[in-house]
Amino acid sequence: MEAEVTSTTVAPPDISADAEVVIEIKDLWKSFGENKVLQGFDLTVRRGESVMVLGKSGSGKSVLIKCIVGLLTPDKGSISVLGQNVLGLDEQALDGIRVKIGFLFQSSALYDSMTVRENLEFPLRRHSIAQEGSDSEAMVKEALENVGLMNTIDMYPSELSGGMRRRIGLARTLILKPEIVLYDEPTTGLDPITGKEIVELILQLQKKYGTSSVIISHDLNVAKLAANRIAVNIKGRNHAEGTYDELHALEDPEVQPFFIFM
Amino acid sequence: MGETHAKGAIYRIVEEVGEISRFTGRFFQQAVRPRFEWRELLRQAYLNGYLSLPLVAITAFIMGLVLTIQSRPTLADFGAETMLPAMVSISVVREIGPVITALICAGRIGSSMGAELGSMKVTEQIDAMEVSGTNPFKYLVVTRVWSTILMLPLLVVLADAIAIWACYIGVNIKGSVSWSLFNQQVLDALVFADVLPALIKSIFFGLAIGVVGCYKGFTTEKGTEGVGRAAHSAVVLASLLIFILDLVAVQITEIMGLN
Repeated sequence: MEAEVTSTTVAPPDISADAEVVIEIKDLWKSFGENKVLQGFDLTVRRGESVMVLGKSGSGKSVLIKCIVGLLTPDKGSISVLGQNVLGLDEQALDGIRVKIGFLFQSSALYDSMTVRENLEFPLRRHSIAQEGSDSEAMVKEALENVGLMNTIDMYPSELSGGMRRRIGLARTLILKPEIVLYDEPTTGLDPITGKEIVELILQLQKKYGTSSVIISHDLNVAKLAANRIAVNIKGRNHAEGTYDELHALEDPEVQPFFIFM
Repeated sequence: MGETHAKGAIYRIVEEVGEISRFTGRFFQQAVRPRFEWRELLRQAYLNGYLSLPLVAITAFIMGLVLTIQSRPTLADFGAETMLPAMVSISVVREIGPVITALICAGRIGSSMGAELGSMKVTEQIDAMEVSGTNPFKYLVVTRVWSTILMLPLLVVLADAIAIWACYIGVNIKGSVSWSLFNQQVLDALVFADVLPALIKSIFFGLAIGVVGCYKGFTTEKGTEGVGRAAHSAVVLASLLIFILDLVAVQITEIMGLN
């Protein structure tokens, strides 16, 4: 059932130091009651760059990207996306920014009551893209061909495997051709082979559409394959930042445990 | 210890009433503002109205028949058997039809809304909707609540008609009344003041079922356990609200001299 995906290894593209900043997070704080999740987190992402936020479960990684896309409102700090401060935007302006941001949820978040085709058409319809002369059918087919699952077009999410759901989620995330994609634990719950296929797919599509991305994960294999840079989230702060090799070589007792099995 | 528990329970009830009131206010605020989700509204009307027809119809038929059969001996004792069509039709139209239909819908629609929206919440489908630039409250809640507001009066009218028809069958089990005479007796007994308040209260029953089902689903927490709790509590709370609204409606019609 699952179609072949090209398995040639693709590396994240090199990014020049003066590339445009697409996401800038400064001194971000977020608490849930007494639980202080983010405590002054800083992060910068440049155009075309793939940054991974590494951290323990429950360390606030998902909270961070939910703040970027406006699903959660931080207590303090600033988030600038494509030059706009998302915290000061009204609902309409926020929707305008959200068209340029794709979000792949950990659970894929496919709409259970809709077929794969309807899931992919949903964001197109919402942004009236289908009515503006674009051929929504062609966009849906392109998105499905990208993830190698053309044969699932009339299936319901409940008929798909975990890996297939993740790929369809990726196709839906990328159908509006966003400039930035936020990945929330893209390989969690998948076997290592399917996980590697998903990472390669992410890299292929990133190369094809030139997207910038923030990947949230605790899986260092993802970091090794997909990230230009890794930010280590410890106690709600960006504790250390660098390439995979730089962090691996770092003799920091808080960072080293992440590399224990590598 | 017991006093603390009682205070805690009262606080939770007051808090819940406040939250549901706020949720209802948000519904009214967004219900009249564009963009209107016509396609989803039609889909919900089909799911909540059309698909409820068989259950409502069967229940109404049995209700009309049983009411007729059970009432006959008492009326016969007073030599008032001929009053049977009038008595059953007034009971059905004013009270039993709207309340029983609303309770069936609270069970069928309320639980399905609570479970569906609850599972969408815990699997991040509602968040996915929001990041794709869709107002999930408008798309999911407003359409569902409008569908119950619009469909419930229609279902009540249908249930009333079927129950009265079942009464005709019930009357003819032990007697012989022509359809035209039966019809005449029913229409002579029913007045406008019987029908209109019942239809108005069924609109409020629809509002209660929709709001409670959506509120419970939309505020689901704690994973799949929470989904089950949302479905269950949606039915319980909606059923309770139906009885409270019915009591209020009776008081209002009494004050207005419509009884």
